Amino acid sequence: MSRSDLGTDPYDSVEDDRWIASASASRGEIDSLLQGAGYRVCSTDLRHVAIGLEQLESAMVGDQCVASSAEAIHYNPSDLTAWVDSMLSELAPDPHLPRHPHITATANTWADPTQQRPSLHGLENHHQHRSVPAVSLQSMDEEEDAAIRLVHLLVSCADYVQRGDSEMAGSLLGQTRLALARVNTGFGIGKVAGYFVDALCRRLYPPPLSAAGGGGSAANPEILHHHFYEACPYVKFAHFTANQAILEAFQGHDRVHVVDFNLMHGLQWPALIQALALRPGGPPLLRLTGVGPPSPDGRDALREVGLRLAELARSVQVRFAFRGVAATRLEHVRPWMFQVAPGEAVAVNTVLQLHRLLGDRASPEGGDAAAAEPIDTVLAWIVGLKPKIVTVVEQEADHNKPSFLDRFTEALFYYSTMFDSLEGGRAGGSHRGGHHHHHHQQQQQTVAEAYLQREMCNIVCCEGAARVERHEPLARWRDRLGRAGLRAVHLGSNAFKQASMLLTLFSGEGYCVEEADGCLTLGWHGRPLISASAWRADDDAALPCDHQTLLVLQDHSSSVTSGSNNVVDGDDHHLRQHSVVRNNDTGSGSSCSRV
Amino acid sequence: MAGSNEVNANECRMVVPLNTWVLISNFKLAYNMLRRPDGTFDRHLAEFLDRKVPANAAPVNGVASFDILIDRTNNLLARIYRPAPPNPSPATTPLADLHRSPSPDPFPVIIFFHGGSFAHSSPNTAIYDSLCRRFVSLCGAVVISVDYRRSPEYRYPCAYDDGWAALKWASTEPWLHGGKDAKLRVFLAGDSSGGNIAHHVAVRAAESGIEVSGNILLNPMFGGNHRTESEKRLDGKYFVTIQDRDWYWKAYLPEGADRDHPACNPFGPNGVNLEELPFTKSLVIVAGLDLVQDWQLAYADGLKNAGKDVKLIYREQATIGFYLLPNTDHFYDVMEEIKNFVTSNL
Repeated sequence: MSRSDLGTDPYDSVEDDRWIASASASRGEIDSLLQGAGYRVCSTDLRHVAIGLEQLESAMVGDQCVASSAEAIHYNPSDLTAWVDSMLSELAPDPHLPRHPHITATANTWADPTQQRPSLHGLENHHQHRSVPAVSLQSMDEEEDAAIRLVHLLVSCADYVQRGDSEMAGSLLGQTRLALARVNTGFGIGKVAGYFVDALCRRLYPPPLSAAGGGGSAANPEILHHHFYEACPYVKFAHFTANQAILEAFQGHDRVHVVDFNLMHGLQWPALIQALALRPGGPPLLRLTGVGPPSPDGRDALREVGLRLAELARSVQVRFAFRGVAATRLEHVRPWMFQVAPGEAVAVNTVLQLHRLLGDRASPEGGDAAAAEPIDTVLAWIVGLKPKIVTVVEQEADHNKPSFLDRFTEALFYYSTMFDSLEGGRAGGSHRGGHHHHHHQQQQQTVAEAYLQREMCNIVCCEGAARVERHEPLARWRDRLGRAGLRAVHLGSNAFKQASMLLTLFSGEGYCVEEADGCLTLGWHGRPLISASAWRADDDAALPCDHQTLLVLQDHSSSVTSGSNNVVDGDDHHLRQHSVVRNNDTGSGSSCSRV
Repeated sequence: MAGSNEVNANECRMVVPLNTWVLISNFKLAYNMLRRPDGTFDRHLAEFLDRKVPANAAPVNGVASFDILIDRTNNLLARIYRPAPPNPSPATTPLADLHRSPSPDPFPVIIFFHGGSFAHSSPNTAIYDSLCRRFVSLCGAVVISVDYRRSPEYRYPCAYDDGWAALKWASTEPWLHGGKDAKLRVFLAGDSSGGNIAHHVAVRAAESGIEVSGNILLNPMFGGNHRTESEKRLDGKYFVTIQDRDWYWKAYLPEGADRDHPACNPFGPNGVNLEELPFTKSLVIVAGLDLVQDWQLAYADGLKNAGKDVKLIYREQATIGFYLLPNTDHFYDVMEEIKNFVTSNL
């Protein structure tokens, strides 16, 4: 690596008396060296940032000032220009302070730029990411070799499955089962390999009357989810971070409406209801619309959850109304079902849901299909609701790659890390109670594993419409949400701090919260596993409101009413009626519509 | 005093390129916000502000990286960097390929301890990820960047213990033993606090009979009770102050200890005599505008006086962090020196 290899110098625009951008550097060109260090600054902004840093330093003299700077909320530290500007406005809001390079009369210069050299090593922003787990290799060589061999067998087997060579695949499956016997199945790859072997088996030899969703127990998905919620912090982190963003977005609004794409047991909402109750200035009127699958056994599960939440709201004196929207698939939901009222602040909350609306990717390079996928339709009407905030939580993995082998390999490592954290986090978490508590935790972990196993099975065994676990990484979601007209609302250091603190309180030490370009991720042993982000509609991008959504809310003061709203069933246009139930005193109520 | 601050700022601006100045000043200011006067540290904000990059098993510029768990009980992680596995076939797994020796010939293994004055940064911090990748390209090395426990939450000797654990782990990994003689050719390297850790782990290695091929200390962090001439002369002039140095030592050393503790001042009044130990040879790089240079030079002298092989590189006009961005002669000359040191001691 000699200096003669370096080629032309791209920095010849950064000379002190030529900070008016020279012809060779286009405006908006990012300094690639700083980019490698994790900061995005335009070369032409460097001087502005430098002056800002100097001013920040002068402003930060004294302990008190330092303390107050630490209390400031920071956003997206990669954007140095914005960071410096926001710190300055917090600490030195003097409008006369010259910050524009033109105005500063410094004769002093920065160093001779002929010493600068271009970077030989530019880190690509979107390098192909193939994750590898933090596999514990402290055990003996034999064990380590066995683990590596097991992975190799599994992946080879998946390769034959992809090629359609069921004979070779079947034979390898047999070898894999043998290899499994030699590996510690307590943690890491060994733990999860067994499930993947089963999944491959099922894909190779599908059971004759396989149910949709491919494998896993017949247990109630909400119960599985609840156990997963308890056994590890991922969903709690998601709820917590989303609620933070929703709370902030609802500030100043006295009528708010949360749309939850997957209500389940409504675990996310008690905390929000309580936070709204404690809001300075008093709680708003809160409407919650929860989407969920229709209950199989004639129960109205959505309504039951709604009633429980209404009860809680009543106890903390938050005016509350609930509506349930039952749909077998998200794409059957229509915006008018939410009955968004004019003047309401809307929050759309999608935790581990959006990926279900994705389809097959057109090409290995990940170009999106030309035809409109359900995701585009749904995103479009989300934007049409003109939400104040859209909270998106997704698995941080690419389980929607076109190649089965790629998906399989990614999933192997992703779930290996996930399972590892279930095991490791449990051991490290706060321990109360003795044997019974431990036993209970073990049970929870087992059921949580069953929850994950369902996802894994879906990824490995299903195709087409049946494959719903189409996880894609944050980078791809950013693009998609951006194209739909949503702009990121950066999650700040306050949300980060609270998430971190929550983690240290309740979980094992291997978890890590990270900030990535305004979004937060939670991971295990350095591997991000789940991401949380917040978005709002670009004012220009919001479509004109659909008149059908502008139904006026029914009068709260009536006691028991049986108003009926006609709803169209997504499948066969069957008209159904429903009733609206309310609690008498505070007007909290719940209603359900079926789709 | 506004006047002298201006002077400081001016001098500083003259010696580093603009983007380097921005980078290091940004660190300086951010770090100022994290250190509290009562000795506590705003770890959450530190993690929020730290710019991190994920490991990437797919080679970028010929280098692949992956994270590894060395010790489950301590959650001791490390990030391993290596030359891209040769001829990867489409059906091979990343895991298997990554755990093969990069070459049948002898190759260096560099155990790297990132800087941050014992309190800041991690292996996945972008600047250190870049530096480790650079070392791989430079020397054909496998680099192990250790996620050692940081102060003030974990004081002396935790960082050294973690470094030692990493060295022991490396000595048990067959794929890290290269050449026909299947030997581990390990170098201990680090910048700032990482350099300090490298020294102390090397001492432990010498005491325990693990052979280390060489130490590479980049602006290593040492100190002592009395104020040296360079500290007084350069205080606050080039991004670093005596006050912040004092804070970091107080956060790392045991409660009640002073800076003549052997961790901080290995050749001071409480130092360990290295004469009888098979302590490895060292490459010590000192920046002429680093206020702790007198301690670093004293360190190099201490090694010499104990009969140990040491090569000193003194870069007169270099500041701290010159090795973070490839935009000065200092950077390229020093990288060349490191490459020569490693290849000649393989």
